[in-house]
Amino acid sequence: MYDRWSSLFWLALSVTVFIESIRLGIGTPRSPGMGFIALGASGLLGILSLALFIKTMMRGEEAKESLFAGKLWYRVVSVACAILVYAWVMPVAGYLITTFLFMTFLYWVVGGQKWWWVVISSFLTTIASNYLFSLLNCQFPAGFLGF
Amino acid sequence: MEWFNHILLGFQVTFQPVNFLFCAIGVIVGTLIGVLPGIGPTATMALLLPVTFKVGTTSSLIMLTGILYGAMYGGSTTSILVNIPGEAASIVTCLDGYQMARQGRAGPALGIAAWGSFIAGTISVIGLMFIANPLAKAALSFGPAEYFSLMCTGLIFVTYLGQASVLKTMMMALVGILIGNVGIDLITGQPRFTLGIEELWDGVGIIPVVMGLFGLTEVFDNIEKSLAKNEIYQTRVKNLWPSLKDWAESKWAIARGALIGFFIGILPGGSATLSSFMSYAIEKKVSKHPERFGKGAIEGVAGPESANNATSGGSLIPLLSLGIPPNVTMAILFSALIIHGITPGPLFIKDHPDVFWGLIASMYLGNVLLLVLNLPLIGLWVQVLKVPYRILFPLITLFCLIGAYSVNASGADLILMTFFGVMGYLMRKFKYEAPALVLGFVLGPMIERSLRQALLISDGSFMIFINRPISGVTLGIAFLLLLSNIVPHIKKRRQKYEEFKE
Repeated sequence: MYDRWSSLFWLALSVTVFIESIRLGIGTPRSPGMGFIALGASGLLGILSLALFIKTMMRGEEAKESLFAGKLWYRVVSVACAILVYAWVMPVAGYLITTFLFMTFLYWVVGGQKWWWVVISSFLTTIASNYLFSLLNCQFPAGFLGF
Repeated sequence: MEWFNHILLGFQVTFQPVNFLFCAIGVIVGTLIGVLPGIGPTATMALLLPVTFKVGTTSSLIMLTGILYGAMYGGSTTSILVNIPGEAASIVTCLDGYQMARQGRAGPALGIAAWGSFIAGTISVIGLMFIANPLAKAALSFGPAEYFSLMCTGLIFVTYLGQASVLKTMMMALVGILIGNVGIDLITGQPRFTLGIEELWDGVGIIPVVMGLFGLTEVFDNIEKSLAKNEIYQTRVKNLWPSLKDWAESKWAIARGALIGFFIGILPGGSATLSSFMSYAIEKKVSKHPERFGKGAIEGVAGPESANNATSGGSLIPLLSLGIPPNVTMAILFSALIIHGITPGPLFIKDHPDVFWGLIASMYLGNVLLLVLNLPLIGLWVQVLKVPYRILFPLITLFCLIGAYSVNASGADLILMTFFGVMGYLMRKFKYEAPALVLGFVLGPMIERSLRQALLISDGSFMIFINRPISGVTLGIAFLLLLSNIVPHIKKRRQKYEEFKE
């Protein structure tokens, strides 16, 4: 069942890339264009996806239990969203503030620690990582507050 | 005597204080991440890659390689004491290592794992020393057609040796090639597949891809389970020196493991995980008492641990002499060399003998350091294991973020990393292989360049790939590999059809 859906996803992707490769220009064998290899790779991907789809159809797969059943998948979603917000906010608000808030989120919301432990750990992690990676010549944004 | 002068040069390079320091850092960090479940050598090497920008090439390579084989040492500790493999390559060590610990033989298990790794690591370095140079000299006659065929065969090998379905692994290699196509075309200078996003004009960086697929995916995979505390088997680790009986039982397992690991390492797609499983299977097969396996047989620890360490030396051969990374970790080393302005390939050893021989000598030194450091520090590694994952995972996530950000100081790389993290998480759910994707991604642009150059040389004739002997033979091997995958399926279908007809 899942292979059927995933094969359809890859098939759709391969068709999209295939069309885009033609638009970019595949050139000729004597002078291959910039869509040449993408056309070949997407064409092959399309054929293999179709093969996987047909295979799952012939196998007649039964619907199994959800891949996310019994899993704390919402934690994955919340951490992924937190990283996206972090990526957006850090260049504006600076490394120290954003990292402190981000670590607080991870330790508290996902890690389930006590609030005082969360605050101290987040603070120490932020300061230590800033110091360590500055020593290693990594540049972090200062943000609008100047730190 | 030429090799003696070379290795002498290597030791002169390695014993420079800065290189010695980076070797020690590499093996210690490697052991630490090997011990810690949740972050592997690939993600760590990617994470530390930006750190090496301001460091010399030799020191960077020495440290990154140290992480790789250090992780193989560290992985065995968790397998034996906690029954949780720190690395995929140490999964099989759990079977007998943990049973030995339960029988009060944790010391000999850890001891033989460390000694086996040391011996096999040394054998593989010697192999690397004697094979890489002649191969590089032979590769000087390779043209774009040969390189194209070699890389295509490499990708097919990856799918052949992968652990998931061949069809799905092949699909992932192709997806990797397509992702490698994103960015400005080198010949026309026009952007392609960038979706109008300016940040993608330079292409997708290897760091966000690797950190996402290996670092974040691991975090996501762990936090969706309940963050339970690891249970450490309460035993005093004593008698780290294996007894004479242990040595007698393990000696051939170590020798076989070293050879298996070394040769699997040379193969494209050959991984430490594969070599350790293969070594275990062979040990069980050749044993006079296979029933002992899974119940605390010391050969079941010695063989796989030797094999996974020997793989590191073997896999450096195609990278350093041909310029083709055979697996994901080598792809990171490949990127490190490119960042430092060195193109790995046939001319690498000739043009940068100090880097090559320095690296080889550092592996001798690193193996000794690991042996000296690890056995007395096992108590410390056990304490590290007691750190709960709910404390570890925020730190791992933060390190991934810093690693991805610090390459270009760009928030876009963080978004890309998250994208690949989620993609890797879903790929695991749907049983698609990430290493094949990364290898396709790294080899994709090289395959494209070789293909276009070869076609320009041959005036558009595809026969160049068949007419040139090395290229033709390589493609022939690729074809046979593909055939060996397909034929059993056809036979099975035919058999079913015959049964149905009857």
